[in-house]
Amino acid sequence: MLRAAWRIAWKDVVGDFRRRATLSSMLFFAIAVLVVFQAAFEPDRQEATRLLPGLLWVTVLFTSLVGLGRVFQAEEEDGALEGLLLSPMPRGVLFLGKWWGNLTLTILVELMLVPLLMVLFNVNLWQRMPLIYGILLLGSLGLTGLGVLLAALTQGARSRETLLALLLLPLMVPLLIAGVQATGGILNGGEAGPWLRLMIIFDVVYLALAPWAFGWLMEE
Amino acid sequence: MGRLRGPAGWATLGALGVGLFLVLTAPADFQQGNSVRIMYVHVPSAKMALLVYLFITIAAIVHLWRKSARADLLVEAAVPVGTAFAAVTLATGSIWGKPMWGAWWAWDARLTSMLVLLILYVGLAALRSALEDPVKAGRATSVLVLIGAVDLPIIHFSVTWWRTLHQPASFKGSGTPAIEGALLTPLLAMSLAFVVLGIYLVLLRAGLVADRRRLEALEMEEPTHG
Amino acid sequence: MEGGSLPLPSTDATRDATLTVAIQELHFNFGRHRVLQGVELTLGPGDCGALFGANGSGKSTLLGILATRYRPRRGRYLLDGREVTPDLGHWARSQLLFIGHATHLYGHLTPLENLRFFADLRGLRPTDRTLAETVAQVGLGAFARRPVRGFSAGMRKRLALSRVLLARPALLLLDEPYSALDGPGVEWLNGLLRDYLIGGGTLVMASHDPGRVAALPHRPFQLREGRLQAGPAAGGEGC
Repeated sequence: MLRAAWRIAWKDVVGDFRRRATLSSMLFFAIAVLVVFQAAFEPDRQEATRLLPGLLWVTVLFTSLVGLGRVFQAEEEDGALEGLLLSPMPRGVLFLGKWWGNLTLTILVELMLVPLLMVLFNVNLWQRMPLIYGILLLGSLGLTGLGVLLAALTQGARSRETLLALLLLPLMVPLLIAGVQATGGILNGGEAGPWLRLMIIFDVVYLALAPWAFGWLMEE
Repeated sequence: MGRLRGPAGWATLGALGVGLFLVLTAPADFQQGNSVRIMYVHVPSAKMALLVYLFITIAAIVHLWRKSARADLLVEAAVPVGTAFAAVTLATGSIWGKPMWGAWWAWDARLTSMLVLLILYVGLAALRSALEDPVKAGRATSVLVLIGAVDLPIIHFSVTWWRTLHQPASFKGSGTPAIEGALLTPLLAMSLAFVVLGIYLVLLRAGLVADRRRLEALEMEEPTHG
Repeated sequence: MEGGSLPLPSTDATRDATLTVAIQELHFNFGRHRVLQGVELTLGPGDCGALFGANGSGKSTLLGILATRYRPRRGRYLLDGREVTPDLGHWARSQLLFIGHATHLYGHLTPLENLRFFADLRGLRPTDRTLAETVAQVGLGAFARRPVRGFSAGMRKRLALSRVLLARPALLLLDEPYSALDGPGVEWLNGLLRDYLIGGGTLVMASHDPGRVAALPHRPFQLREGRLQAGPAAGGEGC
């Protein structure tokens, strides 16, 4: 069964590489956000270090919207979603596949985003990079888990992408707060532990709920 | 449900009349003056905004579990009522905040959570109206209700934690200063009146939604099919 | 590519068994629009039920119910004597294969990759060789490694139908299987279906073209005003 989920994720990621569609859109969108930030705030080096956690997470959040808007677009091709639902796999497995695909693309973008951020804002935190990646990964689990579920909810809706943003952003408030605080704690020597625990709670709750919720949604 | 609407309307009118009488005859607070009276609207509507969400959560579970169209109807009927209560909470909180905090808005934990709740209510209505197929729209809305029900405690917890971290208790909470006996009676009366008001509004909306669904079903029947 | 009988490729998944489909007193409606009103149908192994009827008469809806896409409002749907409830949905879907108007193919994947995707989602583990043979059998051997995006409607249809060879379902549901196929394609499909029926499979298809179905041994049914009647169309060229 996990093989089926893995195959769905493979299909989405390979499809993206062949068309160079979502991944490059996400990456350049992220860069555009950074440029806008620089133009709007013109932070000096010290300010940039202070703003970095917020900047990182806001960019990740906005960028993920670009990817999530397309998660179920791939299944609109020639009745593909119906094809998935006609398979004997439990609905939760289908959700896992879609989730893994989006998670892979999100992580790839984040891998490139962090060095870019440091170069563009002239911040020297290279030795903290593994920790930042760790927190990003923890946040991305919940972000993409809830995000893919919301993408399924808004699939086929009018002005889908606006709606997705309207639903995703308020629900992401806890993860955003925890992510920013934890990153700030690690960079500036504050406390990160409780915030990491909050992120784990968020991840566990949504990743436990999402496959079932996807099943209720796709029933009949 | 239609039969209940009339009595509920009169009960609302009576309860609000009694409540308002008690509020206006209650003594003014020696610190806050007359602006304390806003609390008698602010606190009950905040409670109602949450209570309505609890109600639609139960309705959504029943809808998803038993495939009950009536539960779906109640979700649709109650969402705007919750939206209104959340909006009233924010507006009264803001009006009260201006003389008390010297600002219309403060990122107080409770107000922030209430703002997120308001956006969630708006999102619920937007999701339903954006989906063409009414069955899918109802189901998606119910799933979103459950997602929100899980998220709200996490939001409240994280926001509270975050605010206390940054500004240690310069003012405590948005409302509910320690309430003494003389102020308690009008508050209870108003809370009761708002509960009755909430029930009345949901019944009113449920009637409207039921009528509209019947109308849509009749329109669907109109065009010819092979 | 030649019409007539083709040997079925061996896959490592074998058909569970043959099975019987039964539909009793089936009702279905979209809102207030009553589509099916008391449909009865029983088909055993080796049977081919061909559903005829005007557009909108409910053929696709009936197939949708058989495919577990819709749930009957009233009445029973039995597979192998067991009522198909939501709990048994996975089992039912593992026994049946539905091929409708949509081909469920991904444009950016090749025929081989599309079939591999299908197999994994069905829990099948065909070898690469089996997949290549299957693609070759439907006449797409030369295109096995090209993305499906540029294929014609007929090629897509063939590729979709090749899933029958891979999955060997006990119950096969086809909605307008002859659309987009040319003359040799129709012959090829009838050959494939004949073998499938001889192998003990059960087939239900919806068509508006009795002429093309005529080459197959089948039991015709007419769907009219929500009811199913056995027998050829009035004045149709039937079998």
